[in-house]
Amino acid sequence: MSALEQYGLLLGLTIGTVGFVFSLYMIARSLGKVRKEPGKNVPAASGQLSRDPVWVRYHARYYGYALLFLAFDMEMAYMYPWAVVYKQEGLVALLDMGVFLAILFLGLLYGWSQGALRRQ
Amino acid sequence: MTTAFLLLLLAVGAYLVAVIEAWTSSGRFRLAAPAFAALALLGRESIVPRKSDRVFFETAPVLLLISALLAAAVIPLTPDLIITDLATGALFINAALVYVLVALLMAGWGPNGAYAMVGGWRFLGQLIAYAMLIVMPITAVVMRAESLLTTQIVVSQAGLWNIVYQPLGFILFFVASMALAFLPPFDLTTAKGELAGGVEAEYSGARLAVFRLGRLVLIITLAAATVVFYLGGWQGPWLPPWAWSAIKILAVTATMLLAGRYMPRIRETDLLGWCWMLGIPLALLNILLVGVLVLVLP
Repeated sequence: MSALEQYGLLLGLTIGTVGFVFSLYMIARSLGKVRKEPGKNVPAASGQLSRDPVWVRYHARYYGYALLFLAFDMEMAYMYPWAVVYKQEGLVALLDMGVFLAILFLGLLYGWSQGALRRQ
Repeated sequence: MTTAFLLLLLAVGAYLVAVIEAWTSSGRFRLAAPAFAALALLGRESIVPRKSDRVFFETAPVLLLISALLAAAVIPLTPDLIITDLATGALFINAALVYVLVALLMAGWGPNGAYAMVGGWRFLGQLIAYAMLIVMPITAVVMRAESLLTTQIVVSQAGLWNIVYQPLGFILFFVASMALAFLPPFDLTTAKGELAGGVEAEYSGARLAVFRLGRLVLIITLAAATVVFYLGGWQGPWLPPWAWSAIKILAVTATMLLAGRYMPRIRETDLLGWCWMLGIPLALLNILLVGVLVLVLP
């Protein structure tokens, strides 16, 4: 299979799944009618209406981790192509990425020392 | 043809996961229980909460199922029994599984309910903890295989399985994949008994059935990925390749489901601490060790 056909297959899988779920919903719907009753569609909150609105801004208390996560996640984008050619390139590849990872790891240690790795 | 057969196998696998999960949690082995549970869910009403974000609410269960299915599509059971042997297979598994987060966050935000919202945000914190421990061990696996092809990764373990070659990576990947599938002890996202089901709280009927199916497929997919990356895939003596794949995948699934039953649940704040202060240094050490081993060993 060519690469294009493979991605076509994956797209087909996605669309097929949507179709499967849709048909499942249709089967469930055809099994019977539902009665309209007041209060049935209130979100679960121990049997009462939610005191506060839910769609508000939240404090992401792990933002220190989140910033470090961005740096590490970007680094992973370089790691995959590097990992494939690693054995061919040999020691040079190890040193190259070693320096890169060492700098990144120092960043992690610095963030740690500054208190980024805790619930803010 | 292969695709249809594999999807059938995946369905059987998901069913077995449901059986094993009920077995580990209730101690009773009932082969027919998941079928009755699914039929019961289909027969019930599927309520849409008031003032909800309809797009997010409807997308979440489907997206969870799709992301698990797409990840399963690049995992080989035997050299030929694979939906599509993508040239970027190992990377594609990551890419597909990231959408688990999107699905759960949508399920948390969409219904406009407090409990679901708490569950969704918890999972976001959990992602920041486990995500690096999924990708970094896979990198070390790829370094040894010199290829992102999942079949090639299995072939590279012919002499020595990766669980022996890089045990550190295996442990990190195993724990991280349990967190990704929000299995206990990392199941505060759904939090049975605390948040009325967390992200599942507002789902009922057919939508809940799809959501749970997505979760089961996710668990079997992650078990299969563990087998491919660390346990030598289809390789093994005497038995045919497909049998080895099946045995290993079911064994890993059972371990995943059983292990969490004997641990206290971990809050996402604590998980973040453990993963970033211990897990990521260990994952970097794993990459370094594998890097040296790959160059030193013939």
